Amino acid sequence: MSGPTKDTLLSVRDLSLEVARTGHSVVKEISFEISSGEIFGIVGESGSGKTLATRAMISLLPPAIKVSGGSVAYKGREVLTMNDRELRRLRGAEVGVVFQEPMTSLNPSMTIGRQLEEGLILHTELSADERRERILDMLRRVGIREPEGALAAYPHEFSGGMRQRIMLASVMLLKPALLIADEPTTALDAVIQRDVMELMVDLTRAEGTAVLLISHDLPMVARYTSRIVVMEKGSIVEHGRTEDLLEAPQHPYTKKLLSSLPFRGEPRVVDMSKAPMVSAQNIVVDYPGRKSLLKRATAKRALHGVSIDIHEGEVVALVGGSGSGKTTLGRTIAGLVEESEGQIRFQGRARDADWQDYRMNCQMVFQDPYSSLDPRMTILALVEEALRLVPNLDTAAKKKRALETLEEVGLGTDYASRYPHELSGGQRQRVAIARAIARRPRFLIADEPVSALDVTVRAQVLDLFSGLQKRYGFSCLFISHDLGVVEQVADRVIVMQDGRIIEEGDRDRIFDNPREAYTRRLLSAIPALDHNERGGVTLKWRLENEA
Amino acid sequence: MKKFNLNGLIGGILIAALVIVAGIGLVWTPFDPMKLSFTARLAPPSAIHLLGTDEFGRDVLSRLMIGARASVWIGFLTVAFATICGTLIGLVSGYARGWVDGVIMAVNNALLAFPGILLALGLLAVFGANQYGIIFALGIAYTPSMARVVRGAVLSLREREFIEASRVMGNGELYTMFRHILPNCLAPITVLATSMFGWAILSESALSFLGLGVPPPAPTWGNMLAAGRPLIQQAVWLGLFPGLCITLTLLGINLLGDALRDRLDPRMRGLK
Repeated sequence: MSGPTKDTLLSVRDLSLEVARTGHSVVKEISFEISSGEIFGIVGESGSGKTLATRAMISLLPPAIKVSGGSVAYKGREVLTMNDRELRRLRGAEVGVVFQEPMTSLNPSMTIGRQLEEGLILHTELSADERRERILDMLRRVGIREPEGALAAYPHEFSGGMRQRIMLASVMLLKPALLIADEPTTALDAVIQRDVMELMVDLTRAEGTAVLLISHDLPMVARYTSRIVVMEKGSIVEHGRTEDLLEAPQHPYTKKLLSSLPFRGEPRVVDMSKAPMVSAQNIVVDYPGRKSLLKRATAKRALHGVSIDIHEGEVVALVGGSGSGKTTLGRTIAGLVEESEGQIRFQGRARDADWQDYRMNCQMVFQDPYSSLDPRMTILALVEEALRLVPNLDTAAKKKRALETLEEVGLGTDYASRYPHELSGGQRQRVAIARAIARRPRFLIADEPVSALDVTVRAQVLDLFSGLQKRYGFSCLFISHDLGVVEQVADRVIVMQDGRIIEEGDRDRIFDNPREAYTRRLLSAIPALDHNERGGVTLKWRLENEA
Repeated sequence: MKKFNLNGLIGGILIAALVIVAGIGLVWTPFDPMKLSFTARLAPPSAIHLLGTDEFGRDVLSRLMIGARASVWIGFLTVAFATICGTLIGLVSGYARGWVDGVIMAVNNALLAFPGILLALGLLAVFGANQYGIIFALGIAYTPSMARVVRGAVLSLREREFIEASRVMGNGELYTMFRHILPNCLAPITVLATSMFGWAILSESALSFLGLGVPPPAPTWGNMLAAGRPLIQQAVWLGLFPGLCITLTLLGINLLGDALRDRLDPRMRGLK
């Protein structure tokens, strides 16, 4: 690596962090440099230390963590030894930060106008009118309609994507030289994620701001950055130009990350001639609106007459952005939400005619492995509970089946007596899958089953899922906003928007020849991968207007 | 880990001591706690009367031992009553929601708006002042706060995905309520129940003090404290020792309750 040049904006040298109380090392001697105007990426999974490392760069470490060595120089000035006054001048004015969670990074009890103005009052000498002009101009640039109205509005009146735009506006108002974006779009769905990223890149390019982009999502980071470092367990394992790193990865961990990216699965033949196993016809779901003294409750329609069929052994993916109604449809079919109109049939009979049979044969895997398992039950008890109502199975047989199922999802018997909090996210999701398949259901509903997982763990869980599906041949409704995952597992894809189905077809047809503009928009958020023999990939991004 | 052990241990020792003393009091006391002795009126603590005597010459230690039984029994039954009723009401209210919740919570809030001791006073006027009247009255007075806490916990729990998972498995509402929701409410229930035990002993003392408690000459810590008040200038031990007993019992119960809550929670158990 070359020494700091005139152009170097931020220079991190051998930075090490440790837990203050135990001396446990969390970041180990990392070094890199960011030049002015550059977009630089840090990629790593949870626990890799990437967030702590970036927090150290603006001296915002949590009290339990301390710097144990190294230096961070911003424009040649040492950050780690700055006093509070100098730090305050650095943060915001010179280095802006966009955090992951747009729900909590804006103050809910302050208007947008007040929050945006705060930084300007602190760091500039502008008059009230000038501040207002500048805020309105910035809100327009980040794509907020009616910026005058937005000034007096509160954060909860905006969607997650809009809030992240506002957050970006508040940071860019001060024209910082460096923008640190820590998982800026992870909480957003794929389409909005792309919009926010494009906006961020356009804005920072126009202002000449350098960006430090931190994420677990390697393709997303690769799309926008010129150089990347890959972190694993507190160390930088690989460092290089983005294309080189992708096409010829050196370190096994980078290779593992790349090979964990979803790929298109083999096309399978599904017998579509027989009557569908699950058939939902003209489903309408209304959510009751809020009642007030003067107004009668007006219902909000979440699904406008949606019909889907799922055949024996078929994996049907339901995709769409947030608010598209895909989760509502899944929950309605599962019987967790009551339909206002329409009929659901299972194996040729009305579902409502025999709930017991339906419950035996239809199970569900939920999105959040942290909330879908009862924290007070052991892993074995959780899986056994799924067998509680199964007839013709005595207690010993149930226990045996539960243990076998745990084994099948890759959790040995030594996990049986543990509690959910002792397990990682991926292991918990394995337990959730074990619980769902223990009954040998004919039909499985999986609502974003891998969205909360790290890239490498996601790949393992998807493999497990495909293996089990092949083995037991259950039908599956797979709900996801991530088309990459869908491309790997689905036989057929159904695209939803605003409570309606807008396109449906075989996976290859949808991915190769999308008809609807919205489908193309969804597809433009994920790369097509071209694996090479060196363990690397070439990413190709689909254009939105490409047919 | 170490701290939790120590606190739990102190609490355990205090409560064990209390139970042992109350138990011994059933079969043996140094003196007959009811026996009057005009030669030993208001005797200060000495080798014969370890904790002194009261204005009728009755041995304070013996009366405290007998009183322990009444106080602890009242506290225990009151808390049991309020916890069982309050938990059931809170569970049903939070799980059913809708109009059931509306009605139950309206009544509950009306009761909560009443100071507990005032409510107990009113109820005692109806049921008559005796040991079981007090338990019943205090139990009813404490039920609303338990119901409220449990309902709050249920409301947040029922949105969690494992409750939906239970429904998808086809489990009945009652099963889900008792297998998944109730165990996860245990932490707030234990915390409230232990502090309630303290309130109950204090309220019983207050009611006895007002003359509505267990009627004399039967001793409780509360009526002993009350009886010692006018004589505090001449015989400080009359008020001091019952007060000390109440304080130490409350301390023990609170320490033990905290330790119990941590112990019952699998998430706290594995922490090192």
